[in-house]
Amino acid sequence: MTEIVMDQTPPLLQGPSEKERKYDRQLRLWAASGQAALESANILLVNSGAGTVGVETLKNLILPGIGRFVIHDNALVDEADLGVNFFLDDGCYGKPRAQCLASLLGELNPEVEGDWSPKTKNDSLGSLLKKSPLFTAIMYTYPINHVELESLEQYSKEHKTPLIAIHSTGFYSYFTVRPPGTFPIVDTHPDETATTDLRLLNPWPELVEFAKNMTKDIDGLDNFEHGHLPYVVILLHYLDQWKATHNGAYPSNYKEKTEFRQLVRDAARTDNPEGGEENFDEAAAAVLKTVAPFSLPSGLKEVFEYEHKDPIQERSMFWIIADAVKVFYTKHGSLPLPGNVPDMKAQSKVYVQLQNIYKTKARKDAAEVLQTAQAIAGAGREVDPAEVDLFCKNAAFVKLINVEDGGDATPLGSKERLQQVLRAEMANDQVAEMTLQPMSLFPIYLALRGLAYCGNASADKTQIVEAVKSLLSDDLSSEEYGDLKEKMDNVAEDLARAEYGELHNISALTGGMVAQEMIKIITKQYIPIDNTCVFDGIKSRTQVFRV
Amino acid sequence: MDPTMGNPMVPMTAQIPVPVAQPIPLPVLTRDSYNSQSLGRSLNGNVKQARVLMVGAGGIGCELLKNLVLTGFGEVHVVDLDTIDLSNLNRQFLFRHEHIKKSKALVAKEAAQKFNPAVKIVAHHANIKDAQFNIEWFSSFRIVFNALDNLEARRHVNKMCLAADVPLIESGTTGFNGQVQVIKKGVTACYDCAPKETPKSFPVCTIRSTPSQPIHCIVWGKSYLLNEIFGASEDESAFDHSVDGDNAQEIEELKRESAALRKIRNSVGTEEFAQMLFEKVFKTDIERLRSMEDMWKTRKPPEPLNYKDLLEKAKSLDKEKVLKDAQKVWSLEENLVVFNDSLERLSKRVLESKNAGQESIITFDKDDEDTLDFVAASANIRSAVFGIDRKSKFDIKQMAGNIIPAIATTNAIVAGLCVLEAFKVLKGHYEQAKEVFLTPFANARMLASDKSREPNPDCPVCGVYQTRVFVDLEKATLNDLVEHLIKTDLGYGEKDFAISNEVGILYDPDETDNLEKKLSELGIKSDSFLTITDEDDEEPFVNVVIAIQEAKEPLGDKPVKGILDPEDVKIPLKPKKQPQPELVATPAPTNGNSTSNGQNGGVIDLDGDEPMATPAKSLKRGHPEDAEGPSVKKIKANDKAADDDIVFIEDSAGAIVIDDD
Repeated sequence: MTEIVMDQTPPLLQGPSEKERKYDRQLRLWAASGQAALESANILLVNSGAGTVGVETLKNLILPGIGRFVIHDNALVDEADLGVNFFLDDGCYGKPRAQCLASLLGELNPEVEGDWSPKTKNDSLGSLLKKSPLFTAIMYTYPINHVELESLEQYSKEHKTPLIAIHSTGFYSYFTVRPPGTFPIVDTHPDETATTDLRLLNPWPELVEFAKNMTKDIDGLDNFEHGHLPYVVILLHYLDQWKATHNGAYPSNYKEKTEFRQLVRDAARTDNPEGGEENFDEAAAAVLKTVAPFSLPSGLKEVFEYEHKDPIQERSMFWIIADAVKVFYTKHGSLPLPGNVPDMKAQSKVYVQLQNIYKTKARKDAAEVLQTAQAIAGAGREVDPAEVDLFCKNAAFVKLINVEDGGDATPLGSKERLQQVLRAEMANDQVAEMTLQPMSLFPIYLALRGLAYCGNASADKTQIVEAVKSLLSDDLSSEEYGDLKEKMDNVAEDLARAEYGELHNISALTGGMVAQEMIKIITKQYIPIDNTCVFDGIKSRTQVFRV
Repeated sequence: MDPTMGNPMVPMTAQIPVPVAQPIPLPVLTRDSYNSQSLGRSLNGNVKQARVLMVGAGGIGCELLKNLVLTGFGEVHVVDLDTIDLSNLNRQFLFRHEHIKKSKALVAKEAAQKFNPAVKIVAHHANIKDAQFNIEWFSSFRIVFNALDNLEARRHVNKMCLAADVPLIESGTTGFNGQVQVIKKGVTACYDCAPKETPKSFPVCTIRSTPSQPIHCIVWGKSYLLNEIFGASEDESAFDHSVDGDNAQEIEELKRESAALRKIRNSVGTEEFAQMLFEKVFKTDIERLRSMEDMWKTRKPPEPLNYKDLLEKAKSLDKEKVLKDAQKVWSLEENLVVFNDSLERLSKRVLESKNAGQESIITFDKDDEDTLDFVAASANIRSAVFGIDRKSKFDIKQMAGNIIPAIATTNAIVAGLCVLEAFKVLKGHYEQAKEVFLTPFANARMLASDKSREPNPDCPVCGVYQTRVFVDLEKATLNDLVEHLIKTDLGYGEKDFAISNEVGILYDPDETDNLEKKLSELGIKSDSFLTITDEDDEEPFVNVVIAIQEAKEPLGDKPVKGILDPEDVKIPLKPKKQPQPELVATPAPTNGNSTSNGQNGGVIDLDGDEPMATPAKSLKRGHPEDAEGPSVKKIKANDKAADDDIVFIEDSAGAIVIDDD
């Protein structure tokens, strides 16, 4: 079935360096590991309706180089398609839309393999899903028919495939990203300055000894040596001094920290030609940020406290390493050391020694975690040390997405969930004027859902509003909703006027946002939205909901 | 359509009565059915008639051109000077492998045209700063879209649009970040209303004598060594050798060093060349530096290298293997291998063009492997000399090449936002125009929009009164302008005022020598700008900028003629100085992935430890959810830099600023 639809074969890129050059500008965002994940991705688009938004999304995935795509689309190309879809030209008129799109999109990147469906009368989405290689992610656009939707949901459940729903009509759009179950991200790309962990309040013996050695005769050092003490060493020295006069306690509140900062500042020598010392300035500047007791970051806390419902998921490599890190944390009261040292004023030789002390400790911590993880994984399962290293380096910033809330929260995807979000949003709207917040975009989301529910291009305002009421099992007139009815009428009227048509521009913009989130999911880098993003093209605004 | 179509969020078991619509025959759909339905007939008509200009056909440009064509804009002009490069293909989807080295503007037009034959696309493979694109030409457009990647071209288009009073939609992207803003003269803030970040700067002596970071060595390799050996004839004016007490001696020495290096240039292509060059810059020069004991009192002195010893050690290395691994940090020996090999490749190019009778000039281009290898290897060898960390070629490329990450998705979002703002401009609804920022690390919203800022009354570009004058360039003197326009039509009367252009003051009450000179003798041409500064202490006019326009038809008795009736001239007074000027954060120019004037003047994140460039925003409108706040620290740094003498060394891949302390 893997017939390649490109009718021309442009030259494939020569060797790795040429490919590296082509993808240079994006490699700087997601590195070779992200690129490799993209290149092995197999993406299905189930296209329907006016059919532009899905294609625009796919374009933004083909350009950065996914491995393979398949377009399933039952429509034949008509005149309106030509006006809204860039990847269809006059020659496509009357032909299967899937075929034309696959061909023109394929031209964008000769390294990406493309296919389409249905090719014969007997082909269906169901048969495609059966015979295709496993899909990495599946996106579909409204108005998809319910038979096809059910087979996608079935497939997603069975194969743990992320599903992405997209709906663009007129000036409005939304998309929902549904990863299969809880989705952990290790490589969240935190701001580099945030990742610095110097362990000043719980230094390990090697670091203590190094600092003590350098500062044992701090007043006897000549100006050059004194002016080149790394700020880590300076802070460790004066923290010791502070403890000695404060019953062994570290500076703990803002007042004490500013006092401590002054202590450090006053220790700088001013009788030198420069009239001050840069390294002491650096030390004073670092006090508020680095002199802070450890507390478990919320993202990691969620990971540690997570209750597994799925035994298969529990055995995944992420959770094995997470458990090992938890063991480490329970034992030591701290996380594995990331090991990076920020640039600071110091003699080169000393700075390199300092770097080595941090690196050695980081390696030791990671080795311990690896050993624990290997024990948890058991014989016959190899734990990748690189994966452990990455986890240890990013431990403080690990994040879970698509977690089912426990307790009273209503399950995602349920009618009760919709009602709950609606009530909260409308309550916010009541005070929006006072809090200077913009109005909620939730009515737009509901109206688009209502339109899809009608499934009819000629649905009028009343029908769309009625469909929303059915979806919610609610007549929308409750006092707590404020002027929801009026808002709903306005959006529904705009949608009815659009007659299920897409504006190319809105769909192109939405396609950019959807592709961005899909790249995050495929590369498992950066934090994807959780889980629905609504776009209002009239106000150029977006809002994210968990529904 | 199927009335039973369901929805995934509703369990199929929940039997909710579905309103079933009667099937109604669909209207016959035409090419612009959807546009006409959603935009409304009036706006759709406006769009079809609009003649718009798009400056830049790169990352944002490709997306924007597609959107403009499919939205049905009647006529689109595209200007771009750049040609297509392999590294564009990951996002500039109108281009293919076979288009590499061809004009972006022309290929983009070809590719986009076939998708909507009704739209007229006109492509200009040219620099937007060319004289042909004058104010009159700008004023022939309904809207101008900026899809540029550099500060200089952005500023130029901003100025031209203000002069022509054409609304400008300005946009930029950097990695996952992006922004869009509407600029309308007198209504919203212009591009220059908020100060822009200037590129990072380095003292000359840090680069040439006392480097302490990898970037110092990279700048040395790129802007000094490569330039002196292969670049344009040495550009004395690029270096400010002004002497002050502290560095006088060192600057003198550096001059002598450069002169000696230039002599070696004549030996390019000879067998001994690599050794000569190596021993000059990594041995002789280093020994001289090392001998200056004062310099190394508080620094680790550099270690000169021995070419022969190093070559011996490098003998066993596999050159091809080394060259292939751009991600690895090369050892000193590996760097020598790359140094020699790239030198050989560059020398060969020089000899080839010499043999062909052409002058050979090689300038740094991050996508030219030969120059990149040379800069990477020489920077790393210098780092070894000074005990500084070496970097991989991949990292050096980013640092030397001013590479701003760029992806298809961000460009798609920003281009879409541009068109949405264009709708408001077409309707004249400037009060609804928004300044929109992508907030990729604020997962609760992804986009943030703000009301357009108001013009800054102190803005040097738009806080002025602009007018135009038709001039008979053959006849008109400066005095004609003073007597027949400024004193009379513009209403200066007996006020004291000065006239200046980009060169300097042409006239003021004490400087009247130029009055009798013809404008042409003063270098004033059509589309030159003159600034009138009111020198009265009380109630002065704001500065007036006059755009000179060559008269196309005879002007009658006077050789100058203002564009406005004197009665319509209303020059505002300068705003009274506020005690506390509004605090405006520095907006970072972002990247449209296209070059229209051949230079990349954007922000250079030279040492790689600055946060990603933040989109323009002012402090009073801080977004609590934003992962990146306005960069206050940067303002401070810039203020400091502005006080020093700044020397620009420009080359094809970016302006590196060296400030001479």
